[in-house]
Amino acid sequence: MRNRFRRAAAALLAVVLAAGGVTACGQAESETADGGVFRFGANQPIDSLNPFVSVVSMAFSVFEQIYPTLVQLDPNDKYAPEFATDWSTSEDGQTWTFHTRPGAKWSDGEPLTAADVAWTLSTIAKFQDGPTAGLANYVVNLDSATAPDANTVVLHYANPVSNVLSRLMSVPILPRHIWQKYAEGKGEALTTFPNTAPIVSGGPFVLVKHQPKQIALFKRNPAYYGPKPHLAGFGIQFFSTDDAMITALKSHQLDAVQSVPATSVRNLESSGFTVLSSPGMRFDSITVNANPKQQAAHRELTNPLLREALDHAINRAEIVKTSLLGHGKPGGAVIAPGTADWTDSSIKPPSFDLGLANRLLDQAGYRRGPDGVRIAGDHPMDYPIILPEDTYSGAGLRSFQIVRGDFERIGVRLEPRLLDNAAANEAAMANKSQDFAMTMWGWSGGTSDPDDTLNYLTCASQGILNDTGYCSKEWDDLYGEQGEAMNPADRHDVVNRMQQLAARERPLLVLDYPDAIEAHSPSWTGLTPVGGASFSSESKLPLLSVRKAG
Amino acid sequence: MRSLDYLLRRGVFTVVTIFLTVTANFFLFRVLPGDAVTNLSRVPHATPELQHALMVRFGLDKSKWDQYLIYLKNLLHGDLGVSFTYQQPVTHLLVEDLKNTVLLAGVGTLGAIVLGILSGVIAAWRRNSALDHLNTGLATLVYSFPSQWLGLVLLILFAGILPAGGMSDLFLFDSPPFWQNIGDVASHMVLPTITLILTAYGGYTLVVRSSMLETLGEDYVLTARAKGLSDRRVVWQHAVRNAMLPMVTMVALDLGYVVGGAVLIEVIFSWPGIGMATYTALSQRDYPMVQGGFLLLTVSVILLNFLADLVYFRLDRRVSA
Repeated sequence: MRNRFRRAAAALLAVVLAAGGVTACGQAESETADGGVFRFGANQPIDSLNPFVSVVSMAFSVFEQIYPTLVQLDPNDKYAPEFATDWSTSEDGQTWTFHTRPGAKWSDGEPLTAADVAWTLSTIAKFQDGPTAGLANYVVNLDSATAPDANTVVLHYANPVSNVLSRLMSVPILPRHIWQKYAEGKGEALTTFPNTAPIVSGGPFVLVKHQPKQIALFKRNPAYYGPKPHLAGFGIQFFSTDDAMITALKSHQLDAVQSVPATSVRNLESSGFTVLSSPGMRFDSITVNANPKQQAAHRELTNPLLREALDHAINRAEIVKTSLLGHGKPGGAVIAPGTADWTDSSIKPPSFDLGLANRLLDQAGYRRGPDGVRIAGDHPMDYPIILPEDTYSGAGLRSFQIVRGDFERIGVRLEPRLLDNAAANEAAMANKSQDFAMTMWGWSGGTSDPDDTLNYLTCASQGILNDTGYCSKEWDDLYGEQGEAMNPADRHDVVNRMQQLAARERPLLVLDYPDAIEAHSPSWTGLTPVGGASFSSESKLPLLSVRKAG
Repeated sequence: MRSLDYLLRRGVFTVVTIFLTVTANFFLFRVLPGDAVTNLSRVPHATPELQHALMVRFGLDKSKWDQYLIYLKNLLHGDLGVSFTYQQPVTHLLVEDLKNTVLLAGVGTLGAIVLGILSGVIAAWRRNSALDHLNTGLATLVYSFPSQWLGLVLLILFAGILPAGGMSDLFLFDSPPFWQNIGDVASHMVLPTITLILTAYGGYTLVVRSSMLETLGEDYVLTARAKGLSDRRVVWQHAVRNAMLPMVTMVALDLGYVVGGAVLIEVIFSWPGIGMATYTALSQRDYPMVQGGFLLLTVSVILLNFLADLVYFRLDRRVSA
């Protein structure tokens, strides 16, 4: 009896290991005949396949591949045709006309026309205070979207909008014949439709399989109106740790990984992987509460001399060297260098000069106490600083240690408060941002347009996104001005003035701009990141051009 | 009659505990600072309208008391609500995660129990020998390793030999053959299962060894030896059975935690189980998901405790006295 059990167990183990062996060696081989399956590793799962529910960038990157968009970005950060072949603007900047591809079809054979575009944009606008509020940003000031014929879309805006193309770039055009039945009444059903695979698609790929938090698999869409992808398909495997993801790439379980940690770059390069580094769209920063009504216990933080002193006490070169291992740049302007050509290059990172910082604090009248910590009025300059999970779970903790050491040398002490992101957000927003002293977090701006970052610091964003306590009429006026500046040169000028204002008033002390790093196996070629990513919500081009090497 | 009374008391106690747990689950997570609305609306150009829309969608515009009553009413109908993040029924989401967790943690815990019993019995049987010292020392050593550290070490050691993470990585458009699928999942299970077994079996080893040593000193074992029974037979057929009593509670409790999963191991190996789902839901303040996850965890522990009581009741009549 016992022997029989052992034999059965041994047989089962042998079968399992043999099948596992088949898996390890043979996977994807059967799929490589026609362009192959490109296997991505990602560290963020898809939250929902419904664009009205999803908020994560991974899901919008998926929508980019399966749904048409009017325009997209090219590798030079310029707007290129996608479903729209060309477009024009009226003189007053309030009417935009797009011509779309004739004869296009959805993957189920239904016609894909300008009417789908008009329906999608009108639906988002119609329910923007309710079910479609998550996409409302894309239709700001949109009065109407109409399709006078099958290949023309006309958008009327209430006032001139300078960044229409940037907004439309990420709007997935949905198949009206699938979705319109959910848009009846108050449109509540728009958020309950799960939109599970297989999804009727109009982009270059069709999502054929999605196992939540595990894998998503895409097959080439034969009905796609654009250039045919070289790939037979691609897949994304989701990981919860970078270590496992990088190990999977190194062991050829994957072909490519986005968001490679700086610590893995040398290792991957020495193993023969192609590592692509681009200027980042994100900055890490310290927010020093700018709210003039903040608690008396740290109200001196609004003093410009103190803010300037703190800025000069940050050793940005050391942070880039130690925390980012050289894969980034020291911070200065609030627009990161990855946001097309919008960074004001005249703004340099503040010098690291502890002598100057000490003199500024002396000049402001903050004398050192017996323990070396300066005194502001009746209290020592000893501040709690909120470190959210985003910061303390990564290289941010190393940056914090560098900053804390240098602040100590100018008589300012920092006490870290480690909170998860939700609690950190709550703490920074509490009591209209009057309670917190400092946070160390970051911000991801747009690829091609500075509007997201500029909007972040407006008074209207206070209590929602703006966690800095900063509110300035000058900033808000300039924000409004750049939003309506239809001439690119004029808009650049206003945006530069806003960056200079931020550099002067220091709502954020920008520490660094981490590079966007991705890596792929040398067995693949033609992968050109757009806006620092091969797989994003802004362009279909990288996955249309990637192919097997040789 | 006294037995019925005992069972009734334990049953009522279990039901009351579950009710208190349900209530605590509801209020506990709402005490945490931050909510799903501020979390989900942290996207560029978020507006007060978006925040309000999310509040209404999640039912957070109602008073806490009303939310609690709705939660209780839905729960009585077996409805755990709709996930804030995924906009899918929590029951549906948790069932998928539960299956994955029970597979991993179930195999890992059973493996640890079997290995722990074997090594514990051998250690007691060969007491004070080099084998005992080596065995007990090794069990104590790996028992003291943090599971996430051991997991990472194994991940690095077996890079390229075994899959690094996830539950499956078949990038195939068509459904793979049954055995290939089983093999794929099994190969992905090896590292997390070994991590689970290694970090858990030491506890069983020490309990079994101590219990066995006590049992081996009993008179009836001496009698069995005096009757000329072989050493092997005395140990495996007479001593082991009686030494297993303390294991009942330990195993019942540990099986209860199988449902909770091994959060850190699931995170390290990207295993899409309930531990990882609950952890993610907690950081997103996805109340229905986190309530559902904790409900499963606590109810399974309570029910398995109740089961342990019943087993004890069956094995040892003194507990009802």
